[in-house]
Amino acid sequence: MSFPILDVVVLLPLGAALAIALLPRQAPMALPKWLGLGSGVVELGFVLWTVVAFKTGNNHAGFQFTSREPWFGPLGISWYLGVDGISLFLVAVTALLFPIAMATRPSPEGALPRSYLGWMLVLESACMASFLSLDAFLFFIAFEVTLVPGYFVILGGLGERRAYAATKFFLYTFAGSAFLFVGILATYLLVAARLPAGSPASFDIITLARGAMHLPLADQELLLVAFGVAFAVKMPLVPFHTWMPDAYTQAPTGGSMVLSGILFKLGAYGILRWGIFLFPRAAVDLAPLALTLGAVGVVWGSVVAAMQRDLKRLVAYGTVAGVGFIVVGLFGFTVQGITGGVVEMVNHGLSIGGLFLLVGMVWERRRTHELDQLGGLQTVAPVLGWVFMAVLLSAVGLPGLNGFIGELLVLLGTFITHRWWAVVATSGALLGAIYLLWAYQRVFHGPAKAVNAGIRDMTWGERAAIAPLLAGIVFIGVYPQPLLSRIQPAVDHLVAHIEYADPSLKIPSSGQGHGTFAVPANQVVDVPAGTTSSAAAGRGGRP
Amino acid sequence: MDQYLPLLLIFALGLVFAVGSFAASRMLGPRPRLNPAKLGPFESGIAPRREPPARFPVRFYLVAMIFIIFDIEIVFLYPLAVMFNQLGLFGLVEMASFALVVFVAFAYLVSEGALDWGPGKRAGSRSGAPVTRSVSATVRRVSRPGAPTPQASPWAARGGEAAAAAGGPAASPASAAPKARVVG
Amino acid sequence: MTIFAGTAGPGCTISNLVTSEAKVSGLCTAKGSLSIPVEYRSIAPVLILGVAALVLLVLSATLPKRRYPGLWAGLTALAGIATTVDGIVQWANLDNPANTALTVGGQVLYDHFSAFFAILFGCATTLGAAISDSYLSREALDGPEPYVLMLACSAGAVLMAEAAGLITLFLGLEVLSISLYTMTAYHRRRAASGEAGLKYFILGSFSSAVFIYGAALVYGATGSTQYFEIFQFLTGTVVVHDGVLLAGMALLVAGLGFKVAAVPFHFWAPDVYQGAPTPFVGYMAAVAKAAGFAGLLRALMLALPTQVSSWRPAIWVLAVASVLVGSVMALVQADLKRLLAYSSISQAGYVLIGLQAGTQAGWSAASFYLFTYLFMVVGTFAVVGLTQGRGEVRNDLGSIRGLGQRNPWLAGGMLVLLLAQAGVPLTSGFLGKWLVISAVIGKGQYELALIGMVGAAIAAFAYLRVALLMYVPAAPTPARPGQPRGEGGGEPAVAPTGPGAPSGLAEVAGDLEALATAGLGATATAVALRAPSTARLRVPRATAAAIAVCVAFTVFAGVSTPVLSLAHSIGLTWSL
Repeated sequence: MSFPILDVVVLLPLGAALAIALLPRQAPMALPKWLGLGSGVVELGFVLWTVVAFKTGNNHAGFQFTSREPWFGPLGISWYLGVDGISLFLVAVTALLFPIAMATRPSPEGALPRSYLGWMLVLESACMASFLSLDAFLFFIAFEVTLVPGYFVILGGLGERRAYAATKFFLYTFAGSAFLFVGILATYLLVAARLPAGSPASFDIITLARGAMHLPLADQELLLVAFGVAFAVKMPLVPFHTWMPDAYTQAPTGGSMVLSGILFKLGAYGILRWGIFLFPRAAVDLAPLALTLGAVGVVWGSVVAAMQRDLKRLVAYGTVAGVGFIVVGLFGFTVQGITGGVVEMVNHGLSIGGLFLLVGMVWERRRTHELDQLGGLQTVAPVLGWVFMAVLLSAVGLPGLNGFIGELLVLLGTFITHRWWAVVATSGALLGAIYLLWAYQRVFHGPAKAVNAGIRDMTWGERAAIAPLLAGIVFIGVYPQPLLSRIQPAVDHLVAHIEYADPSLKIPSSGQGHGTFAVPANQVVDVPAGTTSSAAAGRGGRP
Repeated sequence: MDQYLPLLLIFALGLVFAVGSFAASRMLGPRPRLNPAKLGPFESGIAPRREPPARFPVRFYLVAMIFIIFDIEIVFLYPLAVMFNQLGLFGLVEMASFALVVFVAFAYLVSEGALDWGPGKRAGSRSGAPVTRSVSATVRRVSRPGAPTPQASPWAARGGEAAAAAGGPAASPASAAPKARVVG
Repeated sequence: MTIFAGTAGPGCTISNLVTSEAKVSGLCTAKGSLSIPVEYRSIAPVLILGVAALVLLVLSATLPKRRYPGLWAGLTALAGIATTVDGIVQWANLDNPANTALTVGGQVLYDHFSAFFAILFGCATTLGAAISDSYLSREALDGPEPYVLMLACSAGAVLMAEAAGLITLFLGLEVLSISLYTMTAYHRRRAASGEAGLKYFILGSFSSAVFIYGAALVYGATGSTQYFEIFQFLTGTVVVHDGVLLAGMALLVAGLGFKVAAVPFHFWAPDVYQGAPTPFVGYMAAVAKAAGFAGLLRALMLALPTQVSSWRPAIWVLAVASVLVGSVMALVQADLKRLLAYSSISQAGYVLIGLQAGTQAGWSAASFYLFTYLFMVVGTFAVVGLTQGRGEVRNDLGSIRGLGQRNPWLAGGMLVLLLAQAGVPLTSGFLGKWLVISAVIGKGQYELALIGMVGAAIAAFAYLRVALLMYVPAAPTPARPGQPRGEGGGEPAVAPTGPGAPSGLAEVAGDLEALATAGLGATATAVALRAPSTARLRVPRATAAAIAVCVAFTVFAGVSTPVLSLAHSIGLTWSL
């Protein structure tokens, strides 16, 4: 058995959090900080190693580095981790954003509070587990557990209404998860009822995906809606988004970074992995609804963002638009669209995470987010201005930066199958450029106000914090091939899976040749070594 | 219907007995000439304007409950006697353990002073009488009620009440209060 | 008596239900003599607890009367541990199915279910004793009596779980109830305690009467009070005019529904929980509920499974009403104990959800739920018992305010217990809800599953409010914005203090307060926000240990399998 790297990735932050919690009171003030940051960096090292060692090519579309231990034996639940092209870079962004977010102080004075570090590490662990989990139960647990540290991270912020925001965040997502809870259980039991006698029922994604696609269509649709509500609240998709501006604005800088950069990806990733993958036919049927919500989100989020007078709120509404864009990509069901959606998730983590970090830097200097109070920062803090510009252009989608790749793929992919929604979403990309550049203009251009005259430029520490994000932004922008070559095989197989489930769906030019569609669904996922027997059983008993 | 006949008979018998008792006392008893004074309380004095409040010490209820405990023991002993031969040794052992349980309850009651009577006890309770509970004290209280115990000596002067005071309620665990107050 | 009357006919056929004929009541085989073979291991938990109660009485009668700190509680805890160990031994013994039997004249069921609940009540007794000791000495109430009552109550509870007929069930129910009435009223100097005791007594006696009336009607309809005989009658007979049977079942459910505080039989619960001595409330919430449900599970699933279509709708209504009323009412409580009372009502609803599934999955889910709830509720009330202060002066929400600063570890433990009750993953509360909901989804009752989860989300707010209050600074109510404000004593580590911070301590605390009291009336808000003293609470060792055990168990059972497998393997051994 090889080194269980994914277990380490999930458990390392948790261990660090425990260590911080158990440090004696007399421990030096800096120790928790270095412990937290150090573990974050080591984690990043592990994840980078995973990315490098990840095998590419069409033969490696399945899950890699899998690790499986029985957990709640009688219930068919196991500790089952694995990574494929779709989750790989989300994990990487998580590992990248967390150390940076942990380095930002929630309050301007004093050392990093231990509670903040501890909760952030727990949150990192839970996010990793959500992305890596291949067991529905484990996924649900990780998905739910993110609420508790998320709650405390928001509570550790500076906003005047942070308790309100934290509770709203908790309750909204908790209520949404109620549907996920019922949905997962119902899927499990419905699938278990159709399994051939003797084969053990299980929560693992392969068993569920095999069984779920053969359920009656009405059941599939109901289940997908149940899953979808939970993920839509988490993302947040438009009608379920009202908790979001509060939570993002009230949280501390680092909290906003991970909430917008990582946590909402849980929703988008969830709808792809646990929604579309499990119920492809239902997803095809319900695609117009999802696309409409996504397109409305793009336009509505951009318009509302443009009207904000508060910089942080503006960025927060910007994420609503970003989410809409990703959903539009995912529900295009083309290889380009879904790849674009996944790339957008990664991009969004880098650029919105970076924006929140920069907004936090502005706040540390001026103690305000009011656009009226800011202005003319470019002259007094040129480096900050240029960095802000770079990150912002990445969010806008300037060719040469990462945003462009994702947006192009999404629009291309969806245009093929769902033309008009893609058209509406395109207008959103335009609006995004408008509100972001306008905001930039109001903050950085013009004559410096007297109060803004004396602020300092970026410190070296701050430059170090933003540098990895900038590097990622530029790297993906100019050389996306390593990214795409790892994502594409998994997406190809996902699209093949969708076509297999719903042969009436004709995806005109998915770019990969129709040869792959002949792959039967039971080979959609490379079966890891440990699960061969159950896979064989599943294959034998398929109706 | 036959099976209910004995019941009916018993019912009738009870009715006859009740009615008969009243009738007999009516016929056989003396017939006082009734007048308002004769009907008044104590047949004399000022008639109270309203019903005087009936006051019973809580102790009476306590005693009633203690009675029920032993009553129940008896209730269970009767069937044992009837079925003794069939039940054999098993029945005997079961009943013995049952009796033991009831006896433990009895011992507890005694140790709590539930069976101590008289004004001395009340005086003792108020002053927080010295704690005089021990195996010997409990046993002595059961076996020789009224005999003065060594610990009771401060109250010996008060004669009959002293013994009761000795078993003063142990409910108050405070240390010995000034004895003069009690004696005084 | 029925055992004598019924032995010739159905009694003997019962033996066919059991794997080993020789183990069944000797009444069939040995008609000549009336000796009843008693299999003592089947009633060992009752004997241990009962004898322990007697030992306590004897000791208290014979030892010199003075204070023995920890003696009574220690002995009680010892008896509880003995019961637990006995339960585990019996469990292992019962792994051999041949040992499962109907014993003691057909009155006691010796199976995994009995052993499981013996373990449950053993743990409850141990923990109850551990958290009561310091409370009783603080309130100057110490003595052997409450422990004797506790032991008797546990013995009654075990008997309820073991009962093989309605009469034995009633016997256990009364032993349990009468002990609980007295325990409720035990705080002599608190008027609320006496009032609660009286209320509980009157309503409880009424419900007992309802129960026994129900048992009588069931007897009238089926000719027996023994579960298996009822079952046999109902499988062999089509009851055309089932009015009497339905009425009997309804009354049985009502009588036991009162014990478990299911809506609409819940009205006593808030008052009693509020008035009774706090550690006893924790014990009572765990034991009375578990025992009532044990009886209900046995009666409905063993005796009346054929009538499931009749009782399922009734239990469905009770479950939904309990979950929703409990959750919603918990939101508006300003008194911590009342809040927890409503929360326990809603938790009862989840067990009812499992029960109404009427399947093996529901049966073990309900058992698991009850077992894990025991630890949550005892731990929670132990913490409340510490924060309320001498004389139970502060039971309102404000009493727990600032606990995060005063006693971080205690607050952390309370947080885990509250989250567990809210059903957050990695706690046993989540797993319990998971099992219960999966049982009803297995029956295809999606609407009930959704109602249950929505109820959980509502209740989560109530728990979150308490959790939030623990982390509100315990400083005196801060000044309104605009007024000059001083730096409060219990400043949170995360509160900004720097010059130019847009929000100071006051506003932040004000927001926390505003949220923590959202939905409460004006008076209640004022009460709930009266700041407690900022002094660190002294946590007695036994109580601390009990809370630690509760928290550890809650996490342990939430992330590992042993307890789950235990509950999972409680088979419906007796069903055909």
